[in-house]
Amino acid sequence: MEYKLIVNKDTKPVEFDTVDNNHLKATINETEYTLDYSLVSDRQIHLTVNGKGVNAFVADGPEGKCIIINGIQYIVQDEDVLNQSSTKKRGGSNLPTEITPITPSVVISVLVKEGDRVKKGQSVVVLSAMKMEITLSSAFNGTVTAVNTQDGDKVAPGDILVDIEADDESTEDEKSEA
Amino acid sequence: MFKKILIANRGEIARRVLFTCREMGVTTVAVYSDVDKEAIHVIEADEAVCLGDAEPSQSYLNIDKIIAAAKQTGAEGIHPGYGFLAENAEFAARCEQEGIAFIGPPAQVIRDLGDKITARNIMLKGGVPVIPGMTQAGANPKEMAKAAEEIGYPVLIKASAGGGGKGIRIVRTPAEIEESCVAASREAQSAFGDGTIYLEKFFDKAKHIEFQILADNQGNAIHVLERECSIQRRHQKIIEETPSPAVTPQLREEMGAAAVTAAKASGYVNAGTVEFLLDKDKKFYFLEVNTRLQVEHPITEMITGIDLVREQLKIAAGEPLTLKQEDIVGRGHAIECRVYAEDPENNFFPSPGKIVYIREPSGPGVRNDCGVYTGFEVPVNYDPIISKLVTHAGDREQNIQRMVKSLKEYILLGIKTPIPFLIDVLQSQPFQKGEVYTDFIQTHFQDWKPQFKDEDIARLVYIVDEINANRRKKTAVTADNEIPSPFFTLGNWRLN
Repeated sequence: MEYKLIVNKDTKPVEFDTVDNNHLKATINETEYTLDYSLVSDRQIHLTVNGKGVNAFVADGPEGKCIIINGIQYIVQDEDVLNQSSTKKRGGSNLPTEITPITPSVVISVLVKEGDRVKKGQSVVVLSAMKMEITLSSAFNGTVTAVNTQDGDKVAPGDILVDIEADDESTEDEKSEA
Repeated sequence: MFKKILIANRGEIARRVLFTCREMGVTTVAVYSDVDKEAIHVIEADEAVCLGDAEPSQSYLNIDKIIAAAKQTGAEGIHPGYGFLAENAEFAARCEQEGIAFIGPPAQVIRDLGDKITARNIMLKGGVPVIPGMTQAGANPKEMAKAAEEIGYPVLIKASAGGGGKGIRIVRTPAEIEESCVAASREAQSAFGDGTIYLEKFFDKAKHIEFQILADNQGNAIHVLERECSIQRRHQKIIEETPSPAVTPQLREEMGAAAVTAAKASGYVNAGTVEFLLDKDKKFYFLEVNTRLQVEHPITEMITGIDLVREQLKIAAGEPLTLKQEDIVGRGHAIECRVYAEDPENNFFPSPGKIVYIREPSGPGVRNDCGVYTGFEVPVNYDPIISKLVTHAGDREQNIQRMVKSLKEYILLGIKTPIPFLIDVLQSQPFQKGEVYTDFIQTHFQDWKPQFKDEDIARLVYIVDEINANRRKKTAVTADNEIPSPFFTLGNWRLN
């Protein structure tokens, strides 16, 4: 079987065979691994990889599996799973295209109202999490079509706080030609 | 000794105070806000009173509600922990008025030492060396410029009414002084409602050395050795150690004596900390007194075997100090690392969330003062401190190894932590050599990124976990569903 696994934006194919109970042979980019493992608990896996013992701790997260080895957290994702679930996003922007918090937060202030025109990079909502202020900005030029939150609301990642309809790209081109 | 006390705090410090109370047979009352209903300090206390809304002003900072909780439960004393109301003179005074023992210094002492200028003047009068600086706060930039000339550049502008990095500016040349004063004053006005500022000499390669003090209400005062807290980020401490590699026995005696003088000069009672700055010529200067038990107190406990909370309770109950200065001896070396719910790869942004799994390190000389447990949802409304990891060993070199090993064993799933950052700081050459100054992180770790050495192993673990993933889903299913749906029992499947 083969998985394509992403760690730190690097995708590598992992081919493996389960040989016996709790025993695997795997190949990653031509490096071969022989491993035995025991499922110590729901969270802890002990592996012996090419003779060396490793303890790893695993949790499922929204971004993939979070795996801790030797004090470092690795987020590992399956490329096939990602492709199935992601929605095509508008390209070319390095700001998240949705106005949603990155961590559970409290809304301190909403800087726009329905009908406002916004520019790319303009601050839209100010949030507070653990006594730090975080500002969310618009990823493109557009118009605010809805404000779904108000000062004092408790919000979580996934909540769309402000809906912004991006300007039609063809309108932009016409403008720059004129 | 008190029969019952209330702990006006939350998280790891509330739990730590509870530990000592339980040892002493003192009944404990916890207070909590709505989001802390299942917090560890609540479930481990004998009694608990809900204060209401998570917003601190409605709960942990609400003096009326906390006093009411103490009266309702018959608590004879209140331990304020650190932060929240611990250094609030009004709260200490209310306790005194209501006949409840405030486990800390008297309100007037908190007031005096809480005002930076008053504190400096007390120390000057007492003969404690003070950082060259102004003895009057002000706001007039021209006056400030003149004072800066007298003190000598570089100078540090500080807010008279508060701390936490607000209103602080370093000024290196006369050309910048007036503008910087205006800006700092504006910042202080907005943060503390008081724009008065003052100037101090600024030291470039300085170490932050503090002394633990204990004083009873009969005039006896001792120091309990020093702590070095030079590793800070945004003026917040993250690693503390004792003994300090820079403090010689001679310096320890001099600074210790100055700390005791500071305690007596201010009429101090109970536990506190006198902070000094040590410049590169090994001259020390008084910085301020923290009129509370500090976050980093465990390292002092580890090298002396003294339980500082126990001493606090005894002093507050009116007992005289039984410890004498000559009894105070430190053995070995202790380090504390503060573990926060923060993302070290994302500018240490808070990373609240549910603790999916926690496994604390253990072994000889390992102590973890922890405020969370598996399944606990870390609230967004408070400081993101998860725990303080403390290690103690025979000497500094051995202890650094012990702390690194313990950090690697410390598993926290569900949140991000600065553990990889702490490991790299401790293993760095400057730290190992003791070349630690308050600008350590800016100098050596400004653009730190974690070292990912085991990416392929992580991939292998992913696969092992994935092909055995139903072991976790099975436990969830039996709890929630009566008839498990085939989608859960079928196990892993994919289109191939």
